[in-house]
Amino acid sequence: MSHHLFLLSPSDTPLYSLTHFSTKPSQTVPSPLSANLPSWSTSAFAGTLTALSGASSVVQASTQGGGVRMGGGQDRHVIQMIANASLDVIEEVVRRDNGMYLKSVDKFNEWTVSAFVTPGNMKFVLLHEGKNEEGIRAFFTEVWELYVKVRTMLNPFHTAHNAIVSSVFDGRVRASARKYL
Amino acid sequence: MEHNTFASLAHFRILLIPVGSISRGTFDQWAAEIRTLENIRLSDIPPGTKDEKARFMPSPKSKGYLRLCFPTHPPPSLHYAMSLFRPSHFSLGVIGIASCSQKDSISSITAEFNAAVKDLFPPDSIYPLAKSCFVFEENDGTTNLNLGDHLPGLVIIPSMMGNKKENIETLLADLCSNILAEFSTIFTTLESSLGNEYLNASLFPSLPSLADFPQPLVDDEPESLLRLSSHNSQPELSPGPLRRGSTPILGMKRNASAGAGSPMASVRQNTLNVPITRKRQSLIGATSSHGRLFKVLGDFFMLAGRTEDASVWYAEAVALFKTATDPVWYASALEGLATVALLEAWSGQGFQTSISASREPWSDISEKLDQAISLYSRPGPLSESDQRYDLLAYLYTVAILRLCFLLFATWAAKGWGPLAFTALMHPGPAPYVPPTLSHPDSHLPGNRDRLSSISGITRSQMASVIAQAHGPWLLHLGHRERIVVLETIAYLYSSLGYHRKEVYILREVVGCIMDLLVCARAENGLTVASGIMVNGRGSGDSGAVAVKGIERSAGNESVLKLVKYICEVHGIDLEAVGFVNSASGKTPDERSVPQDANTDDLQENPYGWPELQIGIIREALAVAEALPDPPSVAQFSLSALKSLYTALSDDDQYHMYYTANKALTAARRRGETRLIGYWSGRPVVSIELLQPPPSRSLVENPISILAQRPGDASKLSQMTGPFLYNPRKSVTARGSTLVVTDEPLEFVLTLHNPFVFDLEIQDLSLSTSGVAFDTKPISVTIPANSYHPVTLSGKPLEDGLLIVKGCHAQAPGGASREFFLPLATAEEEEFRLRRRSAVACESGRTKYGGLDCRPGKSGKRHSTLVMTSSSRRSIPKFLECTVVPEQPLLRIRWSSLTHGAVMLYNGEKSTLRLTLENISNLPIDFLRLSFDDSTITPAQAALAEGDLSIYDAYETEYQLINRPVFSWNQDQENIEILPGRKVALTLTCTGKVGCTSGSVFISYGYLHRRHSTLSQPPETFHTRQISYPVLVTVYNMLECHNMDILPLRSGDYESDGTPVNKEMLFRDVEEEGWCLFSIYVRNTYGLPFEVTLERMPKDTSPASTSCIVAPGAMTRLVLPLKKVKLAEEITSQAIPMLSDRQFVVDKTKLSLEEYKLQRELFWYREELFKRVRGCWREAGGTRSGELSLRQQRITLPMLDTLRTETVRIQLDLFRRDGETGEGRSPILRKGGTYYPAPYDFIYLRARIANLSFQPLVLMADTAIDPADHVIQEGVLTDIPIGRLESGEVRELETPLCFVACGRFRVQVDTRAVNTATGDAVIGTATLKVAVREDNPR
Repeated sequence: MSHHLFLLSPSDTPLYSLTHFSTKPSQTVPSPLSANLPSWSTSAFAGTLTALSGASSVVQASTQGGGVRMGGGQDRHVIQMIANASLDVIEEVVRRDNGMYLKSVDKFNEWTVSAFVTPGNMKFVLLHEGKNEEGIRAFFTEVWELYVKVRTMLNPFHTAHNAIVSSVFDGRVRASARKYL
Repeated sequence: MEHNTFASLAHFRILLIPVGSISRGTFDQWAAEIRTLENIRLSDIPPGTKDEKARFMPSPKSKGYLRLCFPTHPPPSLHYAMSLFRPSHFSLGVIGIASCSQKDSISSITAEFNAAVKDLFPPDSIYPLAKSCFVFEENDGTTNLNLGDHLPGLVIIPSMMGNKKENIETLLADLCSNILAEFSTIFTTLESSLGNEYLNASLFPSLPSLADFPQPLVDDEPESLLRLSSHNSQPELSPGPLRRGSTPILGMKRNASAGAGSPMASVRQNTLNVPITRKRQSLIGATSSHGRLFKVLGDFFMLAGRTEDASVWYAEAVALFKTATDPVWYASALEGLATVALLEAWSGQGFQTSISASREPWSDISEKLDQAISLYSRPGPLSESDQRYDLLAYLYTVAILRLCFLLFATWAAKGWGPLAFTALMHPGPAPYVPPTLSHPDSHLPGNRDRLSSISGITRSQMASVIAQAHGPWLLHLGHRERIVVLETIAYLYSSLGYHRKEVYILREVVGCIMDLLVCARAENGLTVASGIMVNGRGSGDSGAVAVKGIERSAGNESVLKLVKYICEVHGIDLEAVGFVNSASGKTPDERSVPQDANTDDLQENPYGWPELQIGIIREALAVAEALPDPPSVAQFSLSALKSLYTALSDDDQYHMYYTANKALTAARRRGETRLIGYWSGRPVVSIELLQPPPSRSLVENPISILAQRPGDASKLSQMTGPFLYNPRKSVTARGSTLVVTDEPLEFVLTLHNPFVFDLEIQDLSLSTSGVAFDTKPISVTIPANSYHPVTLSGKPLEDGLLIVKGCHAQAPGGASREFFLPLATAEEEEFRLRRRSAVACESGRTKYGGLDCRPGKSGKRHSTLVMTSSSRRSIPKFLECTVVPEQPLLRIRWSSLTHGAVMLYNGEKSTLRLTLENISNLPIDFLRLSFDDSTITPAQAALAEGDLSIYDAYETEYQLINRPVFSWNQDQENIEILPGRKVALTLTCTGKVGCTSGSVFISYGYLHRRHSTLSQPPETFHTRQISYPVLVTVYNMLECHNMDILPLRSGDYESDGTPVNKEMLFRDVEEEGWCLFSIYVRNTYGLPFEVTLERMPKDTSPASTSCIVAPGAMTRLVLPLKKVKLAEEITSQAIPMLSDRQFVVDKTKLSLEEYKLQRELFWYREELFKRVRGCWREAGGTRSGELSLRQQRITLPMLDTLRTETVRIQLDLFRRDGETGEGRSPILRKGGTYYPAPYDFIYLRARIANLSFQPLVLMADTAIDPADHVIQEGVLTDIPIGRLESGEVRELETPLCFVACGRFRVQVDTRAVNTATGDAVIGTATLKVAVREDNPR
């Protein structure tokens, strides 16, 4: 099961991204309607369409027998598209929800999107497959703490638009991901 | 194009097709006319003729409606498997629309219509159930149609017919009636047991063909059975157990409909034959369930507008499906029920009854749909033949969209009400946009939130429903269905304001369309290109798609519009580089806002997701390349380069640049008339005018300086004004540059290329206004990632003002664009600084998040910046050059100096000759010389500093003004040099210690030129200047030291051993009132010099003394001088300032006396130097010069000596001779000493003369030392002299007798009395007396 974390600035620019593969098995079952998908075209555009519709992951899942998908089994571009598209819902939910943690705020294809919006309008977006509400909440809280403390917000040279390149931050977020996800 | 709507199950589809040579416009016109007839009253439908076909016929009095829908496109052939499952999906009838013209005959139209219908529908399809062809007569009346010919299925509508609509309505009603009759036929077939078996045979059954109908297997009396059941539209099929399963609401509805609908259904529905039905029920039920049959019945009733019946039969079907495992049909029945509920609500029935207190009225419908969706998503175990994933996926997505529409319409209509019903019932083809979403403010989030709070449906709730429709199963769908579904999803997302999601879907739409295009091309070869035309805007407002023919660019346009929209949402402006019409050559918007170009360099917060942006750009390029649309390829790649180059990798940049160039070439080959605008941001960083060589540079002078003579003040050339600080000085210094007509100008442009490739600029030229300017564009390649200077030259053709506004740049294959470069004035700089700091201030913070902070939206966002810019904005200043008329040109042809160097002794004068030549076509009538040397600047600096004492300041100024290194006698000033002529100038060069170099500046011009007009003569004229540098070496060989002035009395000189010439020198020094000037002269050079001191003939005769000073030796020179008396008016004057520099208050605090003394010292020194002049001559050589004494200081004792006394006292001793003492005999006097004899009676005579300019009252004191050995007559002290007028002399005689031998000293002092300060000694004289025995008596 893979997780994709993106830290997005208020102008939708990713400042940090992480792909985490957890050892837990994938819980989602592909829809029966997605079986026997036709490979009806070989053009590049069809490839785009296949990827965007989420079909490629299904195909891969069926070939690998639904085990742990290495490499996420997805086009990274599609993952980013989904994360970006989920901002629409996040923005709307934030308007009426006061909480920072927005659990399972959006679902797209087989992905569930959870988000965490900091008071500074930084958005932490996590794409995940299974349900792991408390784990994700704890993960987000820890990432937020790291974001604030480790070399970012408390760093006077860091603005809300700088990419986070700190290896300390990266290492700790990875450790946190291993712990909770 | 069909369009998914909520109530599509109730829509009675009638296909409209064009027949014959009808034009598209005409077809659309008539189609629109027909489409206005959305609803046909059931009562308007003519009842059928045959009884067994009247099952679905409405009664003439029934109140329902047939809801017509007029697609222009038949469903795909693959879907015909669903013909029984979902009859509403198919075109039940066909209407051909033809237009009468001379070309088409009626029969050919009919034939064509029939062929078209055959072509559109598969041969084994049960649809269409009826067809008709409407032939509209054209207005011109030239048709040759014989209206008498009556062909079946063909209706001619004459043009003169008044109420066409009514006529069409009647025709439609006829058509519907036919179709309803056909329903009965179909159902009759299905009702049979074989039919039911067929119906249950597979998931998507088909109607048994007549051949398959095994007559022997059916009942003995099939006819009677069919006939009987044909009347039965209200069967009592399931008495007890099945009815129990139906919901109470349904039951209620049924009751209600039974009550309310009984009169309308009375005619045909009361003819129930209950027993027979029961019998048949048991008969059929033996083999398989009736669920599907009832569902089909429900479908037909719903299409026929009889909602009560539909509701009943659906309920029956649902009840049966609950036990059986037939999820797909079950789901379909649930969908049917949901539709029925809406229809009832719409028609006002059931609306009241379905309201319950706690739940939303629509929740019941949505629950049904939810259930249907989950059933569709798990179709259960499927047999091989049932694996119609395409249909299952289609049904699933359509069901989801149905639910979406329900929620969306309710949300948009602010709740469950008539507005929502209208939206849900709307048949298309264009989607119904509710007024809540179409008004201009609807895009604001507040509006959407309000809708959410009113309707109780949140947007995220809807989005989650919509998201269910999206999944891999979309690949199962046919192309058209997929595009329709995706577009619908995109439309919904767009209406919800979820633009990112919308764009995600739109990318799939584009992918879908492009795939079709590419595949079609691969199949048919490149020549038969086909595309898909997407109508309407890319945002998915409308989802109509039609197949487009070859070579129609409208389709391309729409696809590109979609792509641009996708990019826009991701924060990429694909139109950052615009197209320019090659005819006009200029983009108007860029011309009108020149100053906004300045803001390019200001960094705003980056927006968007760079990785995604690059991916999307690549895709956009691929789309444009595949279409193919070369101009767009170029536009996209260049726009991406312009706006995204920071995020693009090097390879991408190369690739895009290469692609763009290729595409531009291709576009030009294809005859593209538009040009791509200039794209690479702002290539020009700065423009500077290259200064012309100094010999050509021009100076503007006011004409007034011609009037004044270049006086001494001009020597202090830097100090033109009397003030140290001149606030206007900087302003005048920064005036516009002067250039000359017809002489080449050079501008240096600094170009910038931020990209990783070498940027080529095909044409780069200056943009000027004002006078005509002749310049040639050049072609430049700017190296990658660097700044690159380029020189552009040109020639102004007339005089006036030349304004360099910026430059035109043109990339290869693109249009030229003008860039403005305002001058970096202080105001401009300040503005930029303020802007930059404002941006910097805002950059860390974010006021707007998400899509609102896209760069395109910044107009509203940077309101503070906009405000400052608009309030401040004045007309930008550009580089300005004043072009003056042609000017002459002079050059130095020859000079008398070798290597431009001159060697001088200090004080030596030599001459310097320069020959000038006029090399222009204009005469020169103005020539003026000015000079500079290395001593001037430090002296001026010292003066400007103001720290010099007033004395030194005078001395410095004196040196500057009266002893210049270069000088020119200005007799030659008014010379005129004709074209091609030469003139020689003679300059004087004086050696001045400390001077190392100097320059001669020759300003010249052509003043008295002919003016073309009689207007005011110009106030200024222009001169050019050539300079001639001179290297000066000055040897300081003689130094003067220790100037002194000593008292001199006649006879003093005799004492020393004097040279012979001294006799002559002292010849004049007979009387009193002389002093001796002495000075030491040292020769520090290696050659002997003869030094001469000259006494200037003032009130004495001239005299001079000279001696040869050997190298290294120091010699004293003396010169007697007459004492000087200066009037107090002169000495009391302040020390003058030779230049008109600003007066600075003296910082030294001196008392009044000290001031007086200082001035006296100054003036007497000046007087001294007027009288004494030093000069030198090379011993044995010819060189001579002046010896400056001005370094010498005068001291107070020297002053006292030099100055004539106030009271002069002359003492002498004499003896009276004779009786009366009349005669006088002088006492022996030698060397100023008197030698009287002792005991001799002698007289001391004091001649007291008042030499001052005022009368004095004097007293005299005589002192004789030693006084004991002298006897005198009278008193010696306090002898009153009395008042002496100026110049008056009084004598005082005192008889004396020396009574001892020895040396005596006699002193007479005079005191002035009556002065306020008491007595002061103002005159003294002494006399030496040596009394000896042997002195003669």
